[in-house]
Amino acid sequence: MVQSREENGRLIISLSGEIDSSNAQEVETRIYEIRQQYPDDSIELDCDRLEYASSAGLRVLLRLIQQTDEVILTNVHSEMYEILDVTGFTEMTEVRRAYRVISVEGCELIGMGANGMVYRIDPDTIVKVYRNPDALPEIHRERELARLAFIAGVPTAIPYDVVRIAGGGYGTVFEKLTARSFAKLLAYDDKPLDEVVQMSIDLLKLIHSKVIRSDTLPDMKAVALDWADFLKDYLPAELHEKLHALIAAVPADEHLMHGDYHVKNIMYQNNEILLIDMDTLCHGHPVFELASIYNAYVGFGLIDPDCTMKFLGLSAETCYTFWRRSLELYLGTQDAAVIDSVEEKAMIIGLARIMRHQIRRDGMNREDGRKMIETCRSILAQLLPRTDSLVF
Amino acid sequence: MSNTVFEMNGTTLTVKPVGELNSMTTPDFEEELRTHLSGVSNLIVDFENVDYISSAGIRLFLGLNQTLKNRGAEMKLIHVSDPIMSIFDLIGFQDVVTVE
Repeated sequence: MVQSREENGRLIISLSGEIDSSNAQEVETRIYEIRQQYPDDSIELDCDRLEYASSAGLRVLLRLIQQTDEVILTNVHSEMYEILDVTGFTEMTEVRRAYRVISVEGCELIGMGANGMVYRIDPDTIVKVYRNPDALPEIHRERELARLAFIAGVPTAIPYDVVRIAGGGYGTVFEKLTARSFAKLLAYDDKPLDEVVQMSIDLLKLIHSKVIRSDTLPDMKAVALDWADFLKDYLPAELHEKLHALIAAVPADEHLMHGDYHVKNIMYQNNEILLIDMDTLCHGHPVFELASIYNAYVGFGLIDPDCTMKFLGLSAETCYTFWRRSLELYLGTQDAAVIDSVEEKAMIIGLARIMRHQIRRDGMNREDGRKMIETCRSILAQLLPRTDSLVF
Repeated sequence: MSNTVFEMNGTTLTVKPVGELNSMTTPDFEEELRTHLSGVSNLIVDFENVDYISSAGIRLFLGLNQTLKNRGAEMKLIHVSDPIMSIFDLIGFQDVVTVE
């Protein structure tokens, strides 16, 4: 009826069967015996196999919650959850519902990404299944970011619940979109490039107008400062210091940014424009967003002109035009000097990121990696001395 | 959404959409609704006959809620079915919009 194990400072007590007046005393005694062995631990009551708790059972839980600093209830099934909700337990402490279990067997596979697969589970919903079985915290994080953005009015698919996949792993259920990516609109000439750029910048401005206050949302400036720190041993001292100082001088900014905004993550559905892949959401000055856009369209392709074709299905020329038109529309000017200057600011952050990325991916020991790292370094050596600020 | 019922009582508008609020039907519903909104200080959306709502529908109400709030008006949703309510619960919709 009561089993326990200890994991990283958390005492996990599993309850099973029914707890009523006939055994409540015994259960309570047993819980207190276990607790005495780990007096400093927080407690997780795993209710996966708990079938029923009568009022005597609930009083055991109540006393435990009142006497312990941190108690959470996990894997609570619907009926038990209703009882805990009505009796006010859900207000007193964190009560986590049991994951719904779904099977993807026989479901249509509609996409494959770096982190896992996407299946259609019914006409209106899809499930994004993560390959890594330990991805649960990351799944919750991505789902929470998507939820915050959705509620803030960013057009994106409804992030429903996190589910357990029969046979192993976890996933998130999303509303199914019948949409086409902007990359496909361009590749098949469905819409003129200028119109697609305009729609993508309209949506980008909408995203950048939102403020979401949440600890879940990383600060892009802090992330970029980490990149600069990483490059300390790979750049001449004066360049590294300049890079660090430039990023440090970018003012704090609470506005939302997507973090991986390119034509494969923007979808078109019945005249609606929708955004997908919310795991990179963060906040910060728009120069950081422009840096990641520069990388997607231009930066990653600097030494490999086929890169954009492989990644976005579009030629390097189309991507470069898209990037320059994006800057024009975002900045609201056709003044080439202004656009060039903002492009250089975006390049500094973008190339610092690519350089770090290559070094971490063992690029120093590969011919193409070394070439990319050297290209980034030489462009940074040109741009950094003549740049006074990353802000525009 | 041609079956939508609009009922004006003083400055309270009650609207009763029918069927699905998805990306196909929502734009027309929104257009029709907006023609009724001037002078409304209290919008009640009756969900009794709504079978399904997609992100397009939810986004409409998030936007309307903001628009109305900005001019000091209010909006609430009533008679929401259990399946739709569970979607609202999952996304924390009630943190932003009044649902009864």
